[in-house]
Amino acid sequence: MMARRPAGLATGLPIGALLGMQSTDGAWPSYAGKRAVNTEATALAVLALTAAGEVEAAERGARWLARNQRLDGSWSFTPAVDEPSWATSLVVLAMAERDRDVALRGARWLLAVKGRRLGVMASLLHRFSPRAMVVRMDPDLQGWPWRNDAASFVEPTAHALTALKRLRRELGEPAERRIMEAEALLYDRTCRGGGWNYGNSVVYDVDLPPYADATAIALIGLQESHREGRTRPSLELLRHLASKAGSGLALAWTALCLGAYGEHVEDLPQRLAHRYAETAFLGETKTLALAVLATHDPTALRL
Amino acid sequence: MLDRRTLLKGAMAAPLLHACGSPPTPWPRGAYRKPDRSRVAIVPAREYGPRLADVLRNGLALFDLPVNGKTIVLKPNFVEYDATGVINTHPSVIAAAIDAFRRLGARRVTVAEGPGHARDVEHIITASGLHDVLREYRAGYVDLNYDDTRRLALRSRYTSLGSLHLPETILDADLVVSMPKLKTHHWAGVTLSMKNFFGVVPGAVYGWPKNALHWAGIHESVVDINSTLPVKTFAIIDGVIGMEGNGPIQGEPKPCGVLVLSDDLVAADATAARVMSIDPGRVRYIEEGGRFLGNMAAERIVQMADSIETHRTTFRLLPPFARLRA
Repeated sequence: MMARRPAGLATGLPIGALLGMQSTDGAWPSYAGKRAVNTEATALAVLALTAAGEVEAAERGARWLARNQRLDGSWSFTPAVDEPSWATSLVVLAMAERDRDVALRGARWLLAVKGRRLGVMASLLHRFSPRAMVVRMDPDLQGWPWRNDAASFVEPTAHALTALKRLRRELGEPAERRIMEAEALLYDRTCRGGGWNYGNSVVYDVDLPPYADATAIALIGLQESHREGRTRPSLELLRHLASKAGSGLALAWTALCLGAYGEHVEDLPQRLAHRYAETAFLGETKTLALAVLATHDPTALRL
Repeated sequence: MLDRRTLLKGAMAAPLLHACGSPPTPWPRGAYRKPDRSRVAIVPAREYGPRLADVLRNGLALFDLPVNGKTIVLKPNFVEYDATGVINTHPSVIAAAIDAFRRLGARRVTVAEGPGHARDVEHIITASGLHDVLREYRAGYVDLNYDDTRRLALRSRYTSLGSLHLPETILDADLVVSMPKLKTHHWAGVTLSMKNFFGVVPGAVYGWPKNALHWAGIHESVVDINSTLPVKTFAIIDGVIGMEGNGPIQGEPKPCGVLVLSDDLVAADATAARVMSIDPGRVRYIEEGGRFLGNMAAERIVQMADSIETHRTTFRLLPPFARLRA
């Protein structure tokens, strides 16, 4: 594991900016200047500040997360939207080493959630005439949706996979079944040549392109995969994408993914600092938190 | 499941509905806002670049928009970015709009979008050239996928969603300008100024893509969103170079040489569809919007600047959408 930098040591990224965005109740908003705080930004900030050694701020964020867990074990995206959200997986990851009971309640909620099935017709078409499908996919595989009334997508499925794998020893057989199926779904949606698109891999017979952030997130979920050999082309692709990642988000997720697989992105702190100097990541908390995490502990999401 | 009480209620209601002549409409009387007539301007614009500022300013002058001292939000289409494609509203059209509304006296002009697919907003904004425009004009940008939201009850009931969380940047604006690209769409047929408002629905709550709206019905969701937004709207459709075929992402460029402007989004979309040789009456969200939100019928639209015939061209459609051809 990479040695962590002492708190406050200059990395070119302003940890002070992240600390400054923390609200008085301990949570973070999506962007600097926004009023509403949310679970995604707060979970990522807690992970980042823990890695950066900012213990007190991270602890206040974690306490906010614990206070805002819903009775069913999930987290809403923001307190104003009173319904379970996809960000639950990220909170489970942030809380896994802090409060196991809280994290396990979140993980058990995840076990009960599945993406919507596309229906019998899609299933029959896939079995008997897959080339006739407008969207090339196995419609019977279920992962996780962005929200309860929607189909499974790559990113929420990958985040849930990472969260469940971190707690798999306590969760037992039900988690193993979901993990198997979710891995199959991610492999099914791999783009030709490797990597993942935000949505599907083929629509109307046209191959869709892979993106660095979606690919990195999927690969993080596929660590310890039952069919590990199938991740190699995607890892190869991500190494290529890493060399030209044109945003803080792509660079940070790529670094965290390669870090999870025991590799590193060359000149990462400098490249992130350069991007930040150019755009300030548009003021987005999520990207700044991921950049801080990737800089201080690129292996943070290693299982 | 139907129970006996539901069946009885239905049996009693059927003759009543029959006596009234037609089933109830999916919108209350208060949601009706169709004007007697609508104005649409088809403004020739052969190429992207700084000259668009004059073109757009002259086009907007036809509408006498009361924007002095007002807050304007420009909502372009940046669903995803592809360096080799024509997916997005061109940044020079956005630059022209910022300039034009400021010259008309707007107090603040903000660009706001909630990309429907891509999560990496920094990449979209910088790679597309929009970041340079925002810097040059010192204009703000709001990521609608993560904006603060308020929950609004839907004013029409085409979907069963009941309510939507919508971004405060949109709800608090005096005028929201829908700035789509003139494109075909492989689920909806065409995507124009009404469909472009899918991008105001926050991804943080509804996902990337906003798949919950697909399940609720794309056409139905488009109408419900448009009927519910409690702000004045305007359309500037970027048809300088449109997209045909497998839009809205994988289609091919289709030079069309126009900007389509209107203060009635239904009329703007109906006119743009006619320019594409598509019958707007066969695009369900335009047809339904034409019942109560705006004018779809050609005889109710006052055509300004160029005529449809001057610019009519045939956009290639995917086979499942051949029935949309005018």
